[in-house]
Amino acid sequence: MYSKISRIEIHLPSSIRSNKELAEKFGRWDPENMEKKVGIRERRIASPDETAADLAFHAAEKVLKNYNREHIDMLIFCTQSPDYFLPTSACLLQERLRLPNTTAAFDFNQGCSGYIYGLSMAKAYINSGIANTVLLLTAETYSKHIHEKDLGNQSIFGDGAAATIIERSDKEHIFDFILGSDGSGKENLIVKNGGFRNQNTINAVPKETSSGDIYTDNHIFMNGPEIFNFTIKAVPQAVNACLEKNKLSLDEINYVIFHQANKFMIDYLRKKLKISPDKFYSNMLLTGNTVSATIPIAMKDAYEKNLIRSGDKVLLCGFGVGYSWGAVVIEIL
Amino acid sequence: MTKNEFIKEISEFCEFENNDYTIDTELKTIDGYDSLAVLSMIAFIDDNFSTQLTADQFSELTDFNSLIQTIGEEKFEDG
Repeated sequence: MYSKISRIEIHLPSSIRSNKELAEKFGRWDPENMEKKVGIRERRIASPDETAADLAFHAAEKVLKNYNREHIDMLIFCTQSPDYFLPTSACLLQERLRLPNTTAAFDFNQGCSGYIYGLSMAKAYINSGIANTVLLLTAETYSKHIHEKDLGNQSIFGDGAAATIIERSDKEHIFDFILGSDGSGKENLIVKNGGFRNQNTINAVPKETSSGDIYTDNHIFMNGPEIFNFTIKAVPQAVNACLEKNKLSLDEINYVIFHQANKFMIDYLRKKLKISPDKFYSNMLLTGNTVSATIPIAMKDAYEKNLIRSGDKVLLCGFGVGYSWGAVVIEIL
Repeated sequence: MTKNEFIKEISEFCEFENNDYTIDTELKTIDGYDSLAVLSMIAFIDDNFSTQLTADQFSELTDFNSLIQTIGEEKFEDG
């Protein structure tokens, strides 16, 4: 049995946080430099009562339009912002989406590598015969984890969701994966409080980064330079290992889509890997970094702009919080 | 590259206000030395010296000379 990605739809919340707004709020910031170097002009922000599961629901409704939802027998939901500790948000989505009770449903907690991990699980379940049609939802609301006085992270991250249908196929369209992890990087992108390691979230002390951003242990802390150092080492290794596992050279890859972390970082990685710019996707201008949704958002945009076409071999690579990474080659239907 | 070439080229790469700084120029006094500049410097140093500086190393830097010493003076033509 084989697998294919047959549909992708996305959903972004309606509220926009622009560079102009951030510049007015913080005063100490150059919005033009942000756009030029980091590649972000706007990002969408979920409303206070809008969760990642809500965003995933809307993306899923779009992807299930004119689709027999009785065919779905597995729902996999990737988020680091679930509705509850329990039950799993995927079960709640099964009900909201009116999927059959024969649908297996579970969450998994991953960030920027989440789409690749999700595809690997979808392929594994389908190719082993356990599932026929997987609905993979990747949705994130990092905005809710970010301190109101943290300009750095507010400028990088946006909220968003994607819904992908992966189906059984008569030929393989999702090829071999490379997956990896390095927990020594845990402190460099973390929300320390609120889980069971540090339950107390009361009276969290404000701290200041060297850039003047404020956070507490209840909020996201990200060490940008260390994350960049990690990607410089891990991403080229993952890409090369993925090509080798798939017995392909870079010349045989038609297009490359990385997790859209920020323009500067991924452009540097592109140059380091000697990937031609005309087969490399780089666009987070109006979304910011939407974590596990960046790759499917990019795929949909690339397809609609005819940057990827039927039969193309596309290399996908996600990397980030954990540290965690994954890469795969897929063929476009 | 020599130390002066390094200062000139990294300043241009990071789009600092000037490119005629000296080894005694304090990095924190440079207009444009911010968190994005640190990422640019990481990229420049990785590309030219195959060396990675950590965030902790960056936080301890004072002037260009401290940056050169942290990269490793022996990696420069005039080191």
